[in-house]
Amino acid sequence: AAVPPARYKPPATETNPALEDPTPDYMNLLGMVFSMCGLMLKLKWCAWIAVYCSFISFANSRSSEDTKQMMSSFMLSISAVVMSYLQNPQPMSPPW
Amino acid sequence: MKNLYIFIVVLFIPWNFSLAKYDEFEDGDDIMEYDDNDFAEFEDVSEDAVTESPQRIITTEDDEEEATVELEGQDENQEDFDDADTQEGDTESEPYDDEEFEGYEEKPDASHSKNKDPITIVNVPAHLQNSWESYYMEILMVTGLLAYIMNYIIGKNKNNRLAHAWFNTHRELLESNFALVGDDGTNKEATSTGKLNQENEHIYNLWCSGRVCCEGMLIQLKFLKRQDLLNVLARMMRPASDQVQIKVTMNDEDMDTYVFAVGTRKALVRLQKEMQDLSEFCSDKPKSGAKYGLPDSLAILSEMGEVTEGMMDAKMIHFLTHYADKIDSVQFSDQFSGPKLMQEEGQLTKLPETKKTLLFTFNVPGSGNTSPKDMESLLPLMSMVIYSIDKAKKFRLNREGKQKADKNRARVEENFLKLTHVQRQEAAQSRREEKKRAEKERIMNEEDPEKQRRLEEAALRREQKKLEKKQMKMKQIKVKAM
Repeated sequence: AAVPPARYKPPATETNPALEDPTPDYMNLLGMVFSMCGLMLKLKWCAWIAVYCSFISFANSRSSEDTKQMMSSFMLSISAVVMSYLQNPQPMSPPW
Repeated sequence: MKNLYIFIVVLFIPWNFSLAKYDEFEDGDDIMEYDDNDFAEFEDVSEDAVTESPQRIITTEDDEEEATVELEGQDENQEDFDDADTQEGDTESEPYDDEEFEGYEEKPDASHSKNKDPITIVNVPAHLQNSWESYYMEILMVTGLLAYIMNYIIGKNKNNRLAHAWFNTHRELLESNFALVGDDGTNKEATSTGKLNQENEHIYNLWCSGRVCCEGMLIQLKFLKRQDLLNVLARMMRPASDQVQIKVTMNDEDMDTYVFAVGTRKALVRLQKEMQDLSEFCSDKPKSGAKYGLPDSLAILSEMGEVTEGMMDAKMIHFLTHYADKIDSVQFSDQFSGPKLMQEEGQLTKLPETKKTLLFTFNVPGSGNTSPKDMESLLPLMSMVIYSIDKAKKFRLNREGKQKADKNRARVEENFLKLTHVQRQEAAQSRREEKKRAEKERIMNEEDPEKQRRLEEAALRREQKKLEKKQMKMKQIKVKAM
């Protein structure tokens, strides 16, 4: 009797969280921390770094990643940038 | 010396002017005695000039008498008239000079006084300046973001093109060997999708099955993260290459029991530390494959010599030698369970599940700068995979080898059980206690007193039986000991 061909099973990394690449999660967290800093402490450069973190997290995201999480982190960082400029329209001064 | 003389001559022409003048004054004094009335005006002035000049004459004549003597004769004749003019010019210029310089002296004073009063210029705040230039940091940031987005799009597309180039090259071979090519597990029926399954922007999967000997084959195209600019910049420091990982799951009856690996020395050292099966069954360090004609870059990890002998047949050696630069590691194992799981000591109560597996990891040539054409060079490696599947099915250990293998596996299991003995005992103990507690609760909750009494009696009887059994066992042990 012919055995039907076996079906696809997701590779082990999805079942074993220790093997997954942690970059998107770290970047997500970092982005949120920086955007909160930027909002609370009114630091423009914090807000800009938050935008960058959110982009990096998106680029490294896994397929199983929730798009809602991505979008929320992105929106938070954009709002941090906008709020910083509304409160203080002066341009950013370089650190040097 | 000639040059020196010329230089000295040039220097002393002005001296000679003055000398000639004053010489004439000396002579002129004698002449003026006769013309007092006409030249009375100039007498005072000339006397003043004469009083000044003797000092000069003394100093110059003392210094360089030769030079003055040579030129005096020439100059006197030429400058008789000139001297008078210059004399007049000198006398006339003196009052003018004072007048002229009066104004000039004042003017510098005036400008000095102006500098002393400070002028403060107030800086206009940048955001009121109405110029885009003051926002250059923001423009820089936005440019950086745009660059990131551009790189994302370019990287994503490159990975996509590479993946499809690989698939187009390998499609024919795969379709001729496997009934089911491409499955993402979502369809109810097992039909070939004939497409790669994109897991990520840099990871593509392909599941093939429907071949004799093997249960299935999972191919993972693990590309570099070209879509992430940070990764691209990091790779400029540390070059890396794309990888193709092929995992063939064998049927239980189609592979004998052995653990074997061949690959680059660096990869094998790493795998020996990371992989559960390699660390347990292959205790020796990776050995050189030179005995079998393999290049120096490749090494072998094996459970026993017989396996190596059996695996290294002519065709395999040919594959390994010709494509050594593209091979990272090849692992055949009947105890494959993936990398070692980092768990707390208390949790591991059961050995991880093992599957008979052939695992191949190939490096795509180009070391990062790959083009779709490079994918074609990986096609012979797929033939090697297919050949290995058939070989693994055919290769059987002889009796001696089989005994050794069984002993090894029993040893590993025993070690594992010893390690977890305490944990298993505790687990069993806690389970028993749970059961008792559940029983007691049931008895307590029973409302009918009759039923309660009956249940209690049943529990008592069970406990008595257990005690009796234990006593019997103890007696047996004592008898045996005697």
